[in-house]
Amino acid sequence: MTEQAGGARAEWLRGLNPTAKLAAVLLLGAAAMAFPSPVLGACLIVVLFVVAASSGMLAPFAKLMVGFGIPVTIMLLFIQGCYSPANVTFIADLGFARLGLEGVMSALQTVVTLLVFLGGFYLMNETTYTGELVADLTSRGLPPKAGYLVLASLNVVPQMRRRMATIQEAQVSRGLDMEGSLVSRLRATIPLLGPVIMSSLTDAEERSMTLETHGFHLNEVRHTSYVVVHHARADRPIVVIAVALFVVSLAIRIAALAGLIAI
Amino acid sequence: MSEAALRVEDFSFRYRDTKRYAVRHLSFEVPQGGFLCVVGPNGSGKSTLCNALVGLIPHHFTGKLHGTVSVFGSDVSKKTIADLSTDIGFVFQNPFNQLSYTANTVAEELAYGLCNRGVPRDEMVVRVEAIAHTLRLDGLLERNPLELSGGQVQRVALGSTLILNPKILVLDECTTQLDPLGSEEIFDIVRALNEDGMTVVMVDHDMERVARCADTVLALRDGNQVALGTPREVFGMAGLEEQGVDIPDFVRVTRALSASGLADGDIELTEGPTIERVREAMGR
Repeated sequence: MTEQAGGARAEWLRGLNPTAKLAAVLLLGAAAMAFPSPVLGACLIVVLFVVAASSGMLAPFAKLMVGFGIPVTIMLLFIQGCYSPANVTFIADLGFARLGLEGVMSALQTVVTLLVFLGGFYLMNETTYTGELVADLTSRGLPPKAGYLVLASLNVVPQMRRRMATIQEAQVSRGLDMEGSLVSRLRATIPLLGPVIMSSLTDAEERSMTLETHGFHLNEVRHTSYVVVHHARADRPIVVIAVALFVVSLAIRIAALAGLIAI
Repeated sequence: MSEAALRVEDFSFRYRDTKRYAVRHLSFEVPQGGFLCVVGPNGSGKSTLCNALVGLIPHHFTGKLHGTVSVFGSDVSKKTIADLSTDIGFVFQNPFNQLSYTANTVAEELAYGLCNRGVPRDEMVVRVEAIAHTLRLDGLLERNPLELSGGQVQRVALGSTLILNPKILVLDECTTQLDPLGSEEIFDIVRALNEDGMTVVMVDHDMERVARCADTVLALRDGNQVALGTPREVFGMAGLEEQGVDIPDFVRVTRALSASGLADGDIELTEGPTIERVREAMGR
């Protein structure tokens, strides 16, 4: 068995229903996007940090958020803060350009929204088995073909990488030079692409036959799953809170746009 | 007389966009519980025949088709491959291409066909454990199938087919990528299944094994049926090797002894009687 992120401390997060987690991540991200200020997004990031800490994943989570957040924030603050056409209130003069409040707020809004999505998906990904998510979605009406596409895409990549390594070993043993500069290594990689792509196409044909002979296209059968789908008491409250946050954020946004409230 | 498990009547097939027929005028029957081995050189039409038996021809591979292939009396061209898969299981040559690529564990891979049939999970668990025990996969159920050896993956592939309880099993050179031990292991399992009543059609290049286990041998060359009968009848035919069809070494030895006047009688197909003949010849 592979080591699971967060170990035993992440069990509560792992025990949540995968579709509930997916819905919560999407709704919270959408709420952060809809809310007409970065405040909600910032609050949600704090919540995500608390969740990561309680699941024993604080260090890798913080590394990801900081590693992504700092460069993106600097870049967006510079571009939007200095050059957004919406800038009318200037808060600093950098010499070569002036920093506008509207641009800064817009940049922060974008950054926190991205971080909410990124952090949410990270926690979900680390604590959810994709097979379980697809099994749950399929039982809720997702077409089996769509589910297959998701799972097969994830599994085919390592298989192609393995094939690439095999072909590379075979070529190296016949004198292909894979050492040296980046350019020479890139040049050596190009001849490998043909065999990898062609053999992958051949494999795909045989694999489609396997699916057919295993009854993938059986009509009028509701597919079941071997994977156990988790359900927890917290599923519903989490989704309800996420929906409520999204609806309220959207309402506030619409009200702000209509001039009913000032943000 | 019981209905034949498989019946092939004057079957010919040419793949789309090709000029040559891959198989021509094949006619034979496999009774329920029978063990048919298909032999012949590369390009003789063995895989095409297997594809036709499981319905991949004409449903997956299209082309020009004559004659009929029936499974338990039903024409395969009138049923879908998925429907046929409840009666007939197919194991291909390359074990890694028989994985569904949707499973993270061997247990999930074994259960894949059951999921497609809507089998409840409780029943799946029982059947997965049973088939894992039969194929000695018990200790591998939680492993990722992509991390297994070729022999282990072939056992998983065989298990994912057998778990559907097919009445007929078609194996297309499924042991060619395995080492001799792994190959024998798969073959022992197949033979045990046949002894339990499963009808088996197997393409194999190991003639000693074919002679030992098949009750009927079909020899093909260039898509034509060159011999059909018991192993003794087929491998006893004069001129079979000249047609490109290999024969067991034991047949060669006993033929050579007879030709030299050192032994009398018929050919031998297996090791024990051949050794006896050689001993007798050495005693003369």
